[in-house]
Amino acid sequence: MFKKILIANRGEIALRVIRACRELGIKSVAVFSEADRNSLHVILADEAYFVGPAPSKESYLNVDNIVKACKDSGAEAVHPGYGFLSENTDFAARLKKEGIAFIGPSPECIDMMGDKITAKKTMQKAGVPTVPGSAGLVPTAEDAIKVAKEVGYPILIKATSGGGGKGMRLVHKESEVKAAFKAAQNEARNFFGDDQVYIERYVQNPKHIEIQVFGDKQGNVIHLYERECSIQRRHQKIIEESPSPSVPKDVREKMGDISVKAAKAIGYYSAGTFEFIFDSITKEFFFMEMNTRLQVEHPITEMVTGVDLVKEQINVAFGKPLSVKQTDIVQRGHAIEARICAEDPVTFTPNPGLIRRCRHPQGPFIRVDSYAYPDYEIPIHYDPMIAKLIAWGHTREEAIQRLNRALDEFTLTGIKTNIPLHKSILDHKKFLDGSYTTQFIEKDFGDLKDMFRFLDDRVFLISAAIEAYNGYKERGSWKHNELPSKWKNVGRDKALRG
Amino acid sequence: MDFQAKLKGKDYLIRVDEQPKYWGITLQEKGQKEEFHKIPKEHFKRMDQGVSFLFDESSYMVDVVGEGTQYTVYTRGSYREIPLYNDESLLHESLKGGGAMGASDSLKSGMPGKIVDIMVVVGDNVEPGQPLLIMEAMKMENEMKATHPCVVKEILVNKGDSVESGALLIKFES
Repeated sequence: MFKKILIANRGEIALRVIRACRELGIKSVAVFSEADRNSLHVILADEAYFVGPAPSKESYLNVDNIVKACKDSGAEAVHPGYGFLSENTDFAARLKKEGIAFIGPSPECIDMMGDKITAKKTMQKAGVPTVPGSAGLVPTAEDAIKVAKEVGYPILIKATSGGGGKGMRLVHKESEVKAAFKAAQNEARNFFGDDQVYIERYVQNPKHIEIQVFGDKQGNVIHLYERECSIQRRHQKIIEESPSPSVPKDVREKMGDISVKAAKAIGYYSAGTFEFIFDSITKEFFFMEMNTRLQVEHPITEMVTGVDLVKEQINVAFGKPLSVKQTDIVQRGHAIEARICAEDPVTFTPNPGLIRRCRHPQGPFIRVDSYAYPDYEIPIHYDPMIAKLIAWGHTREEAIQRLNRALDEFTLTGIKTNIPLHKSILDHKKFLDGSYTTQFIEKDFGDLKDMFRFLDDRVFLISAAIEAYNGYKERGSWKHNELPSKWKNVGRDKALRG
Repeated sequence: MDFQAKLKGKDYLIRVDEQPKYWGITLQEKGQKEEFHKIPKEHFKRMDQGVSFLFDESSYMVDVVGEGTQYTVYTRGSYREIPLYNDESLLHESLKGGGAMGASDSLKSGMPGKIVDIMVVVGDNVEPGQPLLIMEAMKMENEMKATHPCVVKEILVNKGDSVESGALLIKFES
């Protein structure tokens, strides 16, 4: 087995990998930027190497510096975590050249799946369903009607150079095609100077369902069932769960089988995820993309299957076969993850800063992957996600109740976090009945301020007043000549003059 | 000591009366009847982790952050931002308002970050909702918009600058 692994990442995922290394008796090497000297991954690793200034480009994305840290530390392998260099073909290829193992898939697979068009074509060839649509550009409205007949309504007419909803039209029936086609073309011409359009089926009630796959270098591939990640905002996931409340058993098996077949077709090894757009009414699913890395939300799969995905990654990178077979994989119970971010829950603006108090939830069937600690200052340079809170239960209901309980226990003060947002989502009818779609936050969530309804406001008012009083008293008695008394003097003067 | 507080758009009067063994708290929402709470000091205990507060048969671990007139109170995964004034702080505010610049004739950064883009130049007439500049913090770009019609008087930052929380970015004249 490897004796030493370098983790080319930071935050909670670096901790996750350090823990796997410890359990396997492998020494862990952290790397850190100027902004991360006090970060928990540096504190908990066996060794730590400085790799550059705060901006990611100059440190965590700096391939030369990271390779140098590997050589200096004598690390035999690199775990890239997620984000940063995890899906960077050049990095994976460079490590290969340097004789350092990359804990992830082959550079060829990363490359193939990194290009959306190649990925889609490869998957179609492997028999994975993709969103039905025109084979290429659609020149006229008459062609559009022909294509729509094959694809099935509703359809989206989309500008090739479009974005942000511009140059896009949703069409429900044939009589609307002509007008919509013209409108999409005109808008595309006006906004992008290019009026080329194509057609895609519009997936109604879309859910984000993904399948975890795992392969080894011996050619074995298994899947570890699905995760539903439809609670998201601007493609940032907020809550994930496994299993999905919307995927029936036979569809789940089918999605798993297709994903395994596709992974085998490209010779995939290590952890990977097939992302699908899923119509929650028709139960159809279509390939969106493949992530060739460990996912943020991997813990919910670990909780329901009992497989340690990071350890498997390390074993597979070393050349060992998978420790489990497909028949060993069973989904037991239900797991939900809430991403805890340092951000304003109402405006979604990041809220980095100094953490004052921090106490993590504890108790049965709760997992906390967090790098927060009291007096830690969250740097502004990186992702606002500071912790993941995962709850397991026999049933979905129990998992939700447990997550709710753990959110109540989570003390994180000095910064704003999205914990009130999570509490509010867990209380929403559409979340509870599982019918939520990827449009939930934008369409169904309603008044965001409402998330402050749960606690007795008097507790906050009285606490603020007593502590303010204590503050005045302390300042008044300890620093006689400081601010408060001066203001008193000004007040007296004013009163005298007035 | 008497305080005026604001929460969720409602005004409150809070009187804090310290006695050797208890806190006498009179709480009144504007236009509503006042309520009195006798809170034994044993029930509002400062500890390492914050304040353990037993109130109305419930137990809360509370953390109060702030000084002057702005307080943030945290408990059970939630928080409330509460402006709190007493006579002294009201006077303080009124003096500040008279001399220095009011909040509405300048744009300040609400958090530390980097200026990604500036969409206005000095002399521009801006309308409410018009984007002024884009700031990046924690990989997220945030558009900062005008809140009222005004003219750009001075721009104190350049594209690419890193700024601290509370830094003055743009001055306006109305």
